[in-house]
Amino acid sequence: MNGYLIYIVRRLGQFVLVVFIGINLAYVITHATPIDPVEQSISAATSFGNTAPDAIEQMRTSLRELYGLGGSPVEQYLVFWRRILRADFGPSMSAFPTPVSTLIGRALPWTAGLLMISTIITWVLGNLLGGLAGYYQKSRGLKLMGVIAMGLHPIPYYILALLLLIVFGFLWPVLPIAGGSAMNLPQTWTWDFISSVLMHAILPALSLILIGIGSWFLGMRSLVSNVVTEDYVVYAELGGVDRHRILTSYVMRNALVPQVTGLAISLGGIFNGAVITEKVFGYPGIGSLLVDAVYAGDYGLVLGVTTISIVGVSIGVLAIDLLYPLLDPRVKVR
Amino acid sequence: MNRIRALVPAVCALALQLFLPISSGHAQGIPQNIPRKELLILENPEGTIKNAGWFNIWAINAGAQSNGLQQAALDTLWYIDPESGINGVWENALAADKPQYNADFTEMTVKLSKGIFWSDGVEFTAEDVLATVMLQIKNPGMRYSAVMASNVASVEAPDPYTVVFKLKKPNSRFHANFTVRWGAVWILPKHVFEKVPDPAKFDFNKPISLGAYVLHSFDPDGKWYIWQLRDDWQRTTLGRFGKPGPKYLAYVDPGPPDKRVIAQLNHELDVIHDIAPEGMFALAKQSKSTRAWFKGFPYGHPDPTLPAVIFNDQNELFKNRDVRWALALLIDIKAVSMASYRGAATISAIGVPPTGTHPATYHQPMEEWLKNFEIDTGKRKIKPYDPTIGKQIADMLRPSMGEQIPSDPKEIARAFGMGWWKTDPQAAAELLEKAGFTKRGGAWSTPDGKPFTVRVMVEGDLRPVMTRAGTMIVQQWKQAGIDAKIDVAQGTLPTRRAAGDFDSFIGWSVETWGGHQDLSYFLDSWHSQFVAEPGKSQPQRNWQRWSNPELDKIIEQTRSVGFDDPKSIELGKEYVKLAVKEMPTIPLMAYNVFTAMDQTYWTGYPTAEDPYTDPVPNWGNSRYMFVKLKPAH
Repeated sequence: MNGYLIYIVRRLGQFVLVVFIGINLAYVITHATPIDPVEQSISAATSFGNTAPDAIEQMRTSLRELYGLGGSPVEQYLVFWRRILRADFGPSMSAFPTPVSTLIGRALPWTAGLLMISTIITWVLGNLLGGLAGYYQKSRGLKLMGVIAMGLHPIPYYILALLLLIVFGFLWPVLPIAGGSAMNLPQTWTWDFISSVLMHAILPALSLILIGIGSWFLGMRSLVSNVVTEDYVVYAELGGVDRHRILTSYVMRNALVPQVTGLAISLGGIFNGAVITEKVFGYPGIGSLLVDAVYAGDYGLVLGVTTISIVGVSIGVLAIDLLYPLLDPRVKVR
Repeated sequence: MNRIRALVPAVCALALQLFLPISSGHAQGIPQNIPRKELLILENPEGTIKNAGWFNIWAINAGAQSNGLQQAALDTLWYIDPESGINGVWENALAADKPQYNADFTEMTVKLSKGIFWSDGVEFTAEDVLATVMLQIKNPGMRYSAVMASNVASVEAPDPYTVVFKLKKPNSRFHANFTVRWGAVWILPKHVFEKVPDPAKFDFNKPISLGAYVLHSFDPDGKWYIWQLRDDWQRTTLGRFGKPGPKYLAYVDPGPPDKRVIAQLNHELDVIHDIAPEGMFALAKQSKSTRAWFKGFPYGHPDPTLPAVIFNDQNELFKNRDVRWALALLIDIKAVSMASYRGAATISAIGVPPTGTHPATYHQPMEEWLKNFEIDTGKRKIKPYDPTIGKQIADMLRPSMGEQIPSDPKEIARAFGMGWWKTDPQAAAELLEKAGFTKRGGAWSTPDGKPFTVRVMVEGDLRPVMTRAGTMIVQQWKQAGIDAKIDVAQGTLPTRRAAGDFDSFIGWSVETWGGHQDLSYFLDSWHSQFVAEPGKSQPQRNWQRWSNPELDKIIEQTRSVGFDDPKSIELGKEYVKLAVKEMPTIPLMAYNVFTAMDQTYWTGYPTAEDPYTDPVPNWGNSRYMFVKLKPAH
């Protein structure tokens, strides 16, 4: 048990280091961008108007002060870390003075809801069907499933998404193709709103599931195909153990271990958002927020989203590393 | 198995609950609980508003502008229509009359309209105008602070319906700040903002309106805004034109172009702001109810904006006008029109957009001068203008587009433009040689022996039509032996444009009122006093950093004459002639906006036959559309 505690402490140390390095890299990269938030802001504010050039010079000076871009790089870096430690990402420059945390807080539940549910459904279906296909190799239905999975997997995501849009939004218009819920519906916990959210999530979720299921299916089928040739499975079959029990307790359980790692990383990655899904389906979320922030040169917002993403992925990997020795008896902590 | 059987009815019931709304006709992207026949759905091209609950337009970029806020809820002193206007081009809105300047343009007096009320019942008075100006001056970080602070010495209200601005320096166009051309300085409610400790941090949610509509509801995630007609719409400046047709307006983010097309085909988006030409063609083919500015090809509304090849004239290579002219003569505008707008472009050889009243004021009267205009290539004199290019484009399109292409020369000129510069590689070569360039092995070298490299900056998929124009021009220059390269800047364009980090780019430094002849809207900013040193940030709009003493004189003379003075037209023509001679930018075409309007629920949209305003729905001027729209059934 002491060994496990030491492992936890060492792993926590690595986690802190990874997060620290990741956030610093994000800071350096965002500040090295050629996009100047002041110029972007001035361009947005004046591109349609009749603003005199001398007034624009004054505006430039005011915005630099307002956005806090006046200090030295070292001062800005220290201010950034002081804020991070207080979980405060400061104001967004492209939506000044609204705090970055408010913008992220508004977008994150949509992303987390859609991606978490579709990731879990994809993982469960992909692994279940892949496992069955690997074990029952002569089943025609599962063979067909393999063909479908292999057929869907290489299709570029945006093609499939557009196809779904055209089919269910135009040719047979039964599903909503934009937004997270119907217009003019208050966001309250009523059945009207919940059913509207579910309806609006069907197409984006379906697109993610159809594209994602192939890799889990193929991976699990390969893993199971290897596991079934292991000695302990052969002995179990020779020993007359029930096939259902062999599949669930001997084969799937062992084959699932690497898939669980993949799931943890995928779940951590949901904080990156799904930019194309959000754009194609007009779904609210953190991906579009990030892209817009990049174009606007909004360092604060980009750093806010990337920091959450870095922490999310790191926690996912940390959790699985900590659980591994408990899940898989073959892994021992020395 | 039994458990599965038991689950089936439950799943069916859930599915029924989910799909039930479909059968009642409310499943798609239209607002719930609002009668469709009372609702006009328009695209807001700002997309998803990340700070949806922010309505304080006087703070810089904090929230949306064209989500209906400036079109339906706000108001200001005057409007100039980019087209003919609902009651003439000039509209006195909150002002009762045109601005009155003193002799040296250091004082502007405004008489205000009476009987106009805010949506909360407070009367609009001169105090609101004063508050708008003073709040900006006292709080330097706001949208119009710099404009007001640099112009206004003092502002007074001798009575509730009169405002007197005393200016820091003569400015014969000060009223332009309060005149809507897309947007303007909007008037704020004094009785609300005077109670706010820090106006830059005030969200103005829920906004009170001076316009005919009030906020009904909005999406906290920024996808849609719904505005409702005020019960007292007669007490707004729009009320004098009658009751607006739609009781509700929804400004929505319909997503990428394909979805906009689908939404309009499903009659869930009445007005598409803009789509790619291909999208417009698809709608024209598939939807009988869709109408664009032109009834047929080229469909799009030519905005008073002039896309051009904009050189960095501070770059040694482009300081010589012969080089700029040579590059212009290597362009085949017909190919550029086809590549960019698939032929649906309105070309312009001169530095004024071919839209609104400009063709009658500038293009047509200058046609003879253009035909006789000569340039000296160093070996001979040529007349580069070809007045038939617009007709050639129409002829080129006729076999594929049939009757949609007009045959009347006036119609052709209006739709496709008049003339442009002949493609003349021989003359271009002579001009380059005159400038000291040499051609060896089919490739041009600069006078100092280096390859003649020209990067053409474009915005990539952020502005695909302009990117296609730039790519075609690069191809044409390459064919002539110039090492031309496309330079995709994507979102960095505003930063690089201001920094002068480009050889040339496809964009615009010319924007006009459209409906008014005065060119100072953009031209004043072209004075050499505003040209930044190389390496420093250039303020809009002289992105080409061109300075010329003759131009300075024209601008200074324009400043000394009134806005409506006929002399400003003559000065405008002087500018056009100078810009043709010097070619500081190569004008290409109007910025055609493919606004598609669905007539299933509403009729009476502005069109080329009834050009009472600009149909492009993010313009503040588009509010006049509301009073002309009538239910289709």
